[in-house]
Amino acid sequence: MTHVRPFPPAAPATSPHVGEVNKIRVLSVLVEDGPNTLTKVSGAIRRRGFHVRGISVGPSGQPGRLRITLQVDHGHAEADQVRKQLERLVDVVEVDDVTADDVHTRELVVATVKAPELEGLLQRGAKVLATGPKGTTVEFTGEREEVGAFVDELTLHGIVDVARSGPVVMRRTA
Amino acid sequence: MVLEALEREGVEYIFGYPGGANLPLYQHLHEHPKLKHILVRHEQGAAHMADGYARAGGKPGVVFATSGPGALNLVTGLCTAYMDSVPLVAITGQVPSTVVGRDAFQESDVIGATSSVTKHSYLVTKIDQLPRVIHEAFHIATTGRPGPVLIDICRDVQQAEAERVTAERLEIPGYRLNGHVDFDGARRAAQALAAAERPVILAGHGVLLSHAEHQLQELAEAAAAPVGTTLLGIGAFPVQHPLSLHMTGFMGTGWNLNAVQNADLLMMVGMRVDDRVTAKLAGFAPKVKTFIHIDIDGSEMGKNVRPHIELVADAKQALQAMLPHIGSVNGDRAAWLNQIDEWREEHPLRYKHSNGRLQPQDVLIDMYRRARSQAIVVADVGQNQIWAALWWNYDRPGLFINSGGAGTMGFALPAAIGAKFARPDRPVWCVAGEGGFVMTAQELSVAVEHQLDVKIVLLNNFSLGMVRQFQDDFYGGVRSQVDLTHMPDFVKLAGAYGLPALRVEKFEDIAPAFDAAERTKGPFLIDFRIDPEANVYPIVPIGKSLNEFWEAPES
Repeated sequence: MTHVRPFPPAAPATSPHVGEVNKIRVLSVLVEDGPNTLTKVSGAIRRRGFHVRGISVGPSGQPGRLRITLQVDHGHAEADQVRKQLERLVDVVEVDDVTADDVHTRELVVATVKAPELEGLLQRGAKVLATGPKGTTVEFTGEREEVGAFVDELTLHGIVDVARSGPVVMRRTA
Repeated sequence: MVLEALEREGVEYIFGYPGGANLPLYQHLHEHPKLKHILVRHEQGAAHMADGYARAGGKPGVVFATSGPGALNLVTGLCTAYMDSVPLVAITGQVPSTVVGRDAFQESDVIGATSSVTKHSYLVTKIDQLPRVIHEAFHIATTGRPGPVLIDICRDVQQAEAERVTAERLEIPGYRLNGHVDFDGARRAAQALAAAERPVILAGHGVLLSHAEHQLQELAEAAAAPVGTTLLGIGAFPVQHPLSLHMTGFMGTGWNLNAVQNADLLMMVGMRVDDRVTAKLAGFAPKVKTFIHIDIDGSEMGKNVRPHIELVADAKQALQAMLPHIGSVNGDRAAWLNQIDEWREEHPLRYKHSNGRLQPQDVLIDMYRRARSQAIVVADVGQNQIWAALWWNYDRPGLFINSGGAGTMGFALPAAIGAKFARPDRPVWCVAGEGGFVMTAQELSVAVEHQLDVKIVLLNNFSLGMVRQFQDDFYGGVRSQVDLTHMPDFVKLAGAYGLPALRVEKFEDIAPAFDAAERTKGPFLIDFRIDPEANVYPIVPIGKSLNEFWEAPES
């Protein structure tokens, strides 16, 4: 999995920016694993005035193809333009807009904190990866909001370093 | 291998320029006499020639260029073709695969630089990819919504020996063709069109690309619905047909714009509904209750205007599917058509011709009188383009070629040369302003070398006329950097390139100059010194709605 950029914390329901959160589409995109594919996908998004808020790329279940999970702010364009513009690309095999669907969403955060007291983090479900002189490194996975809350709590423990993935999503089958 | 594949695709002409990274292709070119190579004088010229060739002849245009600057010089031409959905296949040389990424001599990231102006592109680093890639490229360029496809081939691959491989069966899972008409949607569209009190049909380039002009006319007549065209849709509906609204958009005719702004139903066929068509989007067609949009590209649905009925399909098939469902037409239709006739009387196309200066419209009217529906007119960009669009009565497809979407100055001359290669049987007229003309004037050598019967009508006003008009009308009357008094003597310039030319400054000299041009075999240039204050009307002021158009002052 490629970690590109962390997703900003979710806006609370009372935030004046709540409308912007609604402008975000979540897409699961199956693409050919070619040398130009990522350039073309990101180029199409940029050129149409959209903005990537989260992305993760990894192998799909099909050989020679990758699964890109995208969270995209579609700006002033109609919501379905993101899907349609991606579908126009020959390297894109399938676009699934799962924004309104019932999905499993997971993001990963790995962080090193100074404090030796990690009770609160461990209670949330964090796993300790290593302990050293600079601090303790933990990992945590969860939904976007859970990861956001986890990162908020990390700050209480004095963050040395943090890396956060984009999302991966999968439709709930049962 | 590349050249054999091109022969298999039925390529006749290649417009190109050799260089370090495509020399292997040129080494073997003479072994393929079926492939005629036209040596251009600048790669941009090659792209526009291939574009004009494709638009006039219907076959994809093929371009060769070398790596680095050669390939980058194609970018404007690729963009022009991309914006107007023209099928091109551009084959560029790339540095050997062993040095890609090391900033080798004349290396550039051509895929990166062109991906936003191509329908698709390939970097070929292995010989076994080539047959499939070339076959796919032609398929993708010419099907669905056409467009330019670029193939960047490393020099070592061009030289590589390979077993003769014929192209495999096409299998492109990510390439979706929208071939199937939604018959229920077509029926609903037809019923809505017939039931509307004040319908308007607008036709774009897609109607021409799918050869749907007969279905369009049949449908319009059955539904008694008036038809306007976009700038690129000119020819989709005969201008002199009683139901014709002529051109729409912010330089469209007054009766067209009034019709669009008062319509209760607007059916848009094979068009993008861009800002030049809508003017102020919020004020576009404000009385419409039903928008119908037909386009082969699903991403056009709702990109600018959200339709109530959408048909993502080939225009011809969609219109064909609508035809049987027109049935009886709303009884108020006669009143609507009468209203449009009144607007046509009230807002005719007109121009000032009382100041003794040579008017561009006079030139075009004389041209039209001679050429009628035989000649192909290739216009440049600016005032000349709109005059050429409005002052001819194009009655069928394929007679008017211009860079509508990209608005590329310098397009006309090379595109006219390409059009002549595609249609040697037809007169080809290149209409250009002097500003755009000098941007690609070096291609005159190609016209002279091949003694192409391309007649160049230079509408020379010693200024960037459209920009000057915008500055006069919309930017406080401040004329800034539009003065082109220092230009070559175009008659002498033509002489230097080796083609005959005449200068015309008076109305009486228009006809004799055209006579001379028509008598002369090969290229001919006429430098018409037109009224430097001549303007394009009607025009919708920037930021205004279509119904707020300005008209030519009474003369």
